[in-house]
Amino acid sequence: MLCDKCHKREAKVYYTEIVNGEKKEQYLCEECAAQYTSFQIEKTGVDSGLGSLLSNILSSYYGEKKNVPEKTEKVLACPTCGITYEEMLNAGKFGCADCYRSFGGIIDKTLRQIQGADTHVGKAPAGFCTGGKEQKKKPEETLPDRIDKLSFQLQQAVEQEEFEEAARLRDEIRDLKKEAARNA
Amino acid sequence: MLKWYDEKGEFTDVVISSRVRLARNLKKYPFSTRLSKEGAASLVEEVNNKLGDGAGEDGKLLACRLDAMDEFERTAMVERHVLSPLIAEKKQAAGLLISENEAVCVLVNEADHLRIQGLSGGMNIKKAFARAEQVDNMAGKAMEFAYDEKYGYLTSCPTNVGTGMRASYMMFLPALGAAGKINRLADEVGKYGAALRGMYGEGTEGTANIYQISNQKTLGSSEEDIIENLNNIALQVIFQERKRREYVLMNNFDVIEDQIYRSYGVLKYTRQIGTKDAMTLLAQIKLGFDAGILKSEEPVNIFHMMMDVQPFNLQCRLGKNAGSRKRDKARAAYLNQSLPRLV
Repeated sequence: MLCDKCHKREAKVYYTEIVNGEKKEQYLCEECAAQYTSFQIEKTGVDSGLGSLLSNILSSYYGEKKNVPEKTEKVLACPTCGITYEEMLNAGKFGCADCYRSFGGIIDKTLRQIQGADTHVGKAPAGFCTGGKEQKKKPEETLPDRIDKLSFQLQQAVEQEEFEEAARLRDEIRDLKKEAARNA
Repeated sequence: MLKWYDEKGEFTDVVISSRVRLARNLKKYPFSTRLSKEGAASLVEEVNNKLGDGAGEDGKLLACRLDAMDEFERTAMVERHVLSPLIAEKKQAAGLLISENEAVCVLVNEADHLRIQGLSGGMNIKKAFARAEQVDNMAGKAMEFAYDEKYGYLTSCPTNVGTGMRASYMMFLPALGAAGKINRLADEVGKYGAALRGMYGEGTEGTANIYQISNQKTLGSSEEDIIENLNNIALQVIFQERKRREYVLMNNFDVIEDQIYRSYGVLKYTRQIGTKDAMTLLAQIKLGFDAGILKSEEPVNIFHMMMDVQPFNLQCRLGKNAGSRKRDKARAAYLNQSLPRLV
């Protein structure tokens, strides 16, 4: 049977709505059900419909303490573009480049949830500018940074049950820690 | 100059094309959700000025005005995978820069300020990446990107932050599709950080058993690692699809051979045909050529034909007033003519 709303996809959800005592029955597909009703169907893809997905993740993180700091949440806004935390949450999108720093700590946790990491590895634009005006080269990776990064990779490797990789990382971390101790 | 889709690539029996998309934003403009109408116009103009006519290995980047195109032309470009549905419907100013061989293009003011796309035929994501990166480097020199030491390239949606890279393969999976294994495959690749979607992205069914497989995460792995991981997954899928094809052909060769020749016969002599039927039959013919059942001395590019029979592509060639009946006839005439002659 086809969906009553879009008439395109296969109906998978039987939806009954009672408005002002009037009963309305509909057969909907997952997409329409998610769009028009309060249904939440788990989706595997993260790319679209992210607004709702992201806000679910974020609100579940904040859900625990929601009763107390509701006020601070409302005040939280990006000083550059003025988008509030709530607006960002609803859209699932940031307003400007500075939002990432403005919402700082909250974002890290979200990123870890949706991306499995919170720190970029990989390409940088040639001679990119940081905060100030002066050109700054990417700083040399310090020993503690390197250890942190490897520890994170180790954790990931363990989670993914890549034990050979994990063992390799463990040894590397041990060596680096020894080196750090010697330097100190 | 050879168009990218006429290039020879590897594993073309399963992998149709490779694509890399890089999401970039300019530091001086707010992200698209907060961008004003004037801001959008000046963004498009600035990017066109800085990148337009920029020459690279793929030829000059030509700037197109999307707002000057009509809805039909824009939808036709979505069907050809040049534009995304999002930018085709954008009310604000939006731009497209495309290289002469169509292998590299830049969408301006999509979900992010720049979406740089590199394409290549067959399984060759490194080439696609190199193409996108060339334009990325050029753009990075000409304009200041929103980049953060910790978070990498900043994007409007946190699912793209970091490398901003989405690498994907367009894969033809008729045997796995016929065996009803696609859903399981989607679950399986999901476990390894990849997503399987229909030919036209999220929410579309796998038309003619063509699927896109792409990386899900953009943060925490380098571009090279993302590509390597995706390659490993794609190779597994290729292996499974080939094994399945071999099995099916061994057990049901006569039936399949008949189906393929029938499909060819229908498309060669049909007088009117809808998109869906045409796609299904073209997929059969593609399988026929890939499996060596059909042979031709002419160049064969079934995927290219699949793009050409899409409704808005036909519409653009026919003029605006052609209804669906007229399109179906034009589609049939096109197929009658374009099918490669068999030997």
